Amino acid sequence: MAKKIKLNEFLLDIHTEPFPARFVPPALDQLKLNAAKWLAGKIDHGDIAVAGTLRHLILTVKDVAAKGNDKTERFKGPKVGAPAPALEGFARKYGLEPAALIPEGGILYAEVHSKGESASVLFSAMIPELMKSLQFPKFMTWEESGFKFGRPLRAITALLGDKIVAVTVAGVKSGRSVHGHPVLAKQPVSLKDPSKHAAALRQSLVIADPEERRQYLLKALEQATKSTGGMAEPDEQLIDETVFMVEHPVPVLGKLRDAHMVLPAELLKLVMKKQLKFFPVVTKDGLLHPYFIGVRDGLSSGNELVREGYQRVLEARFNDAAFFVGRDSASTLESKLPLLERVTYQKALGSMSQKAARVESLAAWIGERLRQTAPVDEPAVMRAAKLVYADLVTDVVKEFPELQGHMGGVYARKDGEGEKVSLAVEQFYYPVAAKSPAPATAEGAVVSLAGKLDSLAGCFAAGMIPTGSADPYALRRQALGLIRIVLEKQLPLDLDSAIARAISLQPVAVPEPAKLAAQLSDFVWGRAQSLFEEMNYAVDEVRSIRAGALTNLPNAFQRLAALHSVRSDPAFDSLAAAFKRASNILKQAKVDDGLSPERALLRDQADYDLYDALVAAEGAANDRIVRGDFEGGLKTLVSVKPHLDAFFDTVMVMVEDEALKRQRLALLSKLVRAFRLVADLSEIQAAASA
Amino acid sequence: MTFQEIVLELQNFWSKQGCAIVQPYDLEKGAGTFNPATFFGALTAAPARFAYIEPCRRPTDGRYGENPNRLGKYYQFQVIMKPVPAGITDTYQKSLKAIGLDPKKHDLRWIEDDWESPTLGASGVGWEVWLDGMEITQFTYFQQMGSMPLSPVSVELTYGLERIAMYLQNKNSVYDLDYGGGLTYGDLHKPQERELSRYSFETADVALLSRHFNEWEAEGVRLAGFGDPIPAYDCVVRASHLFNTLEARGAISVTERAHYIGRIRNLARKVMELYIEKNTPKEPAVASK
Repeated sequence: MAKKIKLNEFLLDIHTEPFPARFVPPALDQLKLNAAKWLAGKIDHGDIAVAGTLRHLILTVKDVAAKGNDKTERFKGPKVGAPAPALEGFARKYGLEPAALIPEGGILYAEVHSKGESASVLFSAMIPELMKSLQFPKFMTWEESGFKFGRPLRAITALLGDKIVAVTVAGVKSGRSVHGHPVLAKQPVSLKDPSKHAAALRQSLVIADPEERRQYLLKALEQATKSTGGMAEPDEQLIDETVFMVEHPVPVLGKLRDAHMVLPAELLKLVMKKQLKFFPVVTKDGLLHPYFIGVRDGLSSGNELVREGYQRVLEARFNDAAFFVGRDSASTLESKLPLLERVTYQKALGSMSQKAARVESLAAWIGERLRQTAPVDEPAVMRAAKLVYADLVTDVVKEFPELQGHMGGVYARKDGEGEKVSLAVEQFYYPVAAKSPAPATAEGAVVSLAGKLDSLAGCFAAGMIPTGSADPYALRRQALGLIRIVLEKQLPLDLDSAIARAISLQPVAVPEPAKLAAQLSDFVWGRAQSLFEEMNYAVDEVRSIRAGALTNLPNAFQRLAALHSVRSDPAFDSLAAAFKRASNILKQAKVDDGLSPERALLRDQADYDLYDALVAAEGAANDRIVRGDFEGGLKTLVSVKPHLDAFFDTVMVMVEDEALKRQRLALLSKLVRAFRLVADLSEIQAAASA
Repeated sequence: MTFQEIVLELQNFWSKQGCAIVQPYDLEKGAGTFNPATFFGALTAAPARFAYIEPCRRPTDGRYGENPNRLGKYYQFQVIMKPVPAGITDTYQKSLKAIGLDPKKHDLRWIEDDWESPTLGASGVGWEVWLDGMEITQFTYFQQMGSMPLSPVSVELTYGLERIAMYLQNKNSVYDLDYGGGLTYGDLHKPQERELSRYSFETADVALLSRHFNEWEAEGVRLAGFGDPIPAYDCVVRASHLFNTLEARGAISVTERAHYIGRIRNLARKVMELYIEKNTPKEPAVASK
């Protein structure tokens, strides 16, 4: 008959002074993971769960066995046949007779069996180790022992079933008291057993489970905004932060004064979100409504006083913002330009004023380059390029760096710069995130490209090149922005030349500019590559369009799409194989791919057939490609496949007859060239055979 | 409760917590931390419990008396305790109640705000305490000074007196506060704000300030040479305020800024090392326990 085993629940509630919101979720993840690791093999247990707030890190372990697992340990001893005193000494150390030692491979081992320790002994050993194992973004000390933690420890609630697990950490002794909301809870609740813990906290106005708190918050936000006809701006970051900033979220709705609604909406929103952690209330289209929501920690009674306080502090912040806007508006953007001389961009790359001059020059160059193919309003580009950095010396941008560009646009409009220029200034830093929009206008796109090219070229020239995951100047984001703008605006800009140009403008000596340009070009291509792969193009497809891709990226993208689509043709894989064979032959024969065959000098029927098919297909394909029909062009080229197969089946390329060999190599060279109008098929990997 | 009554209540409260109520230091400074009670008090292992009101000058925050919430010169109420008493956050909440701010009726929040003083080479971990969204107190566990870890750790509380008074008196402008003695805060401070803002932003003599900065820095180094940290520290305080005024005046570029700060920090470090050397027993006393 199996004995009935009593299983207990274990609870650890680490109660601290308030953690910063960002500390808590990673700490909870670690708490769970490290507890599982620590317990593994030591004792049988059920589910491990965590919960927590800014003041509580909570761990529960269900169905804990009364005792830990028995264990057997082996200790290495002397060699077999060692002198008796040595043997006795070793055996005695482990409480054994020498005869009990176990020989193995000429060595004697002591084997010690120990009974599993009681669960409470194990858990009291675990708690301090677990607490020490937690990694915080920043540690601190606060008491004599010098214990390091994210915030000062206030209490430890540690129970196994109805028994306290006794530990002392950083001078704090564990107990069964549960500490609720620091202001609103009455006395600490004495906890009978772990199952009552969440209820005890809730009763003391703490919702311990983050997901429950989040749902509670979202619902409350919805209810609070109902009367306004708007909704709380669904800012995920602010929601996440709020979940770990309050233990019992209570939204308080307040109103903005009309006088403040004249300030730029983005500025108002930022003041609310960043300075006060308030939610702006917006319409479905994201337009600002004259309301805000502050989330109070605690009760929903007596909110009138809190609302008044919120409104007063918000008004004070808005007054300050208005003061900044007023000071900034006292002079035009243009008149602020000389101040940029005193702002350092990068030590090696000079002041912002110097950077501005480079961006201006590069923007002019780009405008000129596009004159034939995609003309832009060049005077507007030049004007915007001149002004883009002026807002860096405004008070608003110094206070809210996130508003760079945006405030430039606001002030440009105020200065009467015209919408085209103002918008280009406003959207200079676009796209600001992976999925956010590129500049809306071609003029904005050109100025933005110039800024990004200069940053990339400058950092590369000064040796600040990203390695591995380290990218302190966010150059990958800049490169991705570059790619996205060129693609989304369909700009036939030769990025390789633009890169070379941007490097030539840098104020640092570059010993091998061509080499650096190639390196930067590869870096930029790397971003294009990942963008295309994210769009579900295969790695080999992307690789096959690399040659010349940056000289005309919109075109390269069309080639990629054509290749991807034609690839589904069942004949395609074997064509690619034949193509690869052709390229390899050329490579081995060490001939360049600029040879042209002469029909009259060919010999066999297969030669003539391939030649004729190729000439016809090339002409037809070219017509299509010129019209932008890359897919049609590629399909036409694919039609030579039977002739290419027949050629390889019936003739030898590397024949003794030097003249004929040369003609056949020229024929293959023509083939390879024809396909390169779309892609280098030798990069294509055959699909795994079914 | 008038402004002066708030100060009196806080003095009373912290006096009962065992603090010595010391007086403001007689030099211009940007924060209560510069008072030697805190600056020197946090440095050594000796226990420290002080509370005091401190006038602070922040030239860049001047608003010509036009912003109802921002001032170029105002008051802080400062508490420093070492070692940190258990339950200090609760004690702080009680101090709010003592001045008539019942935390139960407000939204009291602890927002991460680690303190750092580049000029003192000092840093700490802590919060700003928000009362209904308004920052009313800076709460800091000092961790380092002169780039050295501190042990034991001190806790520093800095009350924003004007903001607290605005809450208590339900005033939207700092200038409307009832100061006590039949005066408003504006009676006492508005002309000063107007004129000091003009001074900081428009009329201060940059050449003179720069010269004085150089001179006080040099004097500090010279005085430290005599082995007396206290007069040398006064030079740190003076240089620091001169730097603040130069900055408000727009006379310091970004690159120069780091340079100025570095110079003050170097002097401050010298002073700290000197103070520690002078105030740490040479022969460790026989362990008593």
